Amino acid sequence: MSVTRKGIFITIAAALLAAAGGVAIAQQNKDTVAVPGGLALSEFKGYEKWQVIGASQSGNIIDVIVGNPEMIAAYEAGLPAEGKKIPDGARMVKIHWNGKKHPDFPAATIPDTLHDLDTMVKDSKRFAATGGWGYGQFNYDAASDSFKPLGTGPGCGFACHTKAASVDYVFTRYPKR
Amino acid sequence: MSLISPKSIFAVSLMVSLAVLGGVSLAAPDKYTLKVPDGLSFSDFKGYEGWQVVSLAQTDQVLKAIVANPTMIAAYRGGIPGNGKPFPDGSRIAKIQWTYKKSTEAPFVVNVPDKYQDIFFIEKDSKRFPKTSGWGYARFVYAPASDSFSPDGKGSDCGYACHTKVAAKDYIFHPYQKR
Repeated sequence: MSVTRKGIFITIAAALLAAAGGVAIAQQNKDTVAVPGGLALSEFKGYEKWQVIGASQSGNIIDVIVGNPEMIAAYEAGLPAEGKKIPDGARMVKIHWNGKKHPDFPAATIPDTLHDLDTMVKDSKRFAATGGWGYGQFNYDAASDSFKPLGTGPGCGFACHTKAASVDYVFTRYPKR
Repeated sequence: MSLISPKSIFAVSLMVSLAVLGGVSLAAPDKYTLKVPDGLSFSDFKGYEGWQVVSLAQTDQVLKAIVANPTMIAAYRGGIPGNGKPFPDGSRIAKIQWTYKKSTEAPFVVNVPDKYQDIFFIEKDSKRFPKTSGWGYARFVYAPASDSFSPDGKGSDCGYACHTKVAAKDYIFHPYQKR
């Protein structure tokens, strides 16, 4: 069986598409984007692979919350709990996607485009003014395939999270799996 | 300035060890002995609690997280199934389903996991499951009252009829989501 020119073209096209897909997964300015006077996204390096803590849905937004090993250890130890503190070094990222109907299973809503990343890191000295947590939000811009920081400083989530102050400002629970 | 001290290595190791122990103690004592009659073993999916997330989904009844083992994640990141290639043998994926409820704590309206309902497993083994296009399927139902799982049905083909709808994507409904 001879290899046709068309066959070679298709193979090369497929390889190029695969390479482009690979690049699209590993995007852009993750290593450099930072909230002015606040958190850098690079402080959460590796979050793409962190363990799932939980999931939630609000309006047309569907999200997964992931944590670094220190945060997962805190959950496994029974935190958050009344009056108990999450240890320094714990980090969480909430990945928000716009929702859409699954094209092959319309009863399910699944992620469409990435919407933004919400980040939290515990450092009781650095963030003493905001309950020991630093907060950052990075909005995803699909057109430029890059993230844009929201606002300034590390306090963007503090006002909202004070409602959970008695459990060290953490809303998300670790559901059984 | 980023010197890592032996003490900090010890502290991290200790935390990781505690996390591993914690995982063991939180798990129902017998889940890894369970098996669907003539089908998959729960233990084929050992460690799924720590697997990387592939995607999420929500229906009227449940909120679900889809996680996969490193073999399957590597395949996704290599462009499968969009590039027309099948997932390799050893690929394993789990779908964890929770019922959901409105959060009573959050200051805005948001649905969060309520009760754990069930878990679906799929694994690729083209020799073992040739009749179902290389994939074996299983479902284990969680019972909160006894904090235990029970296998649903028998055999390894429980999901096949449904998944043939996405045969062109090597029978997998969920793409790996950008994050």
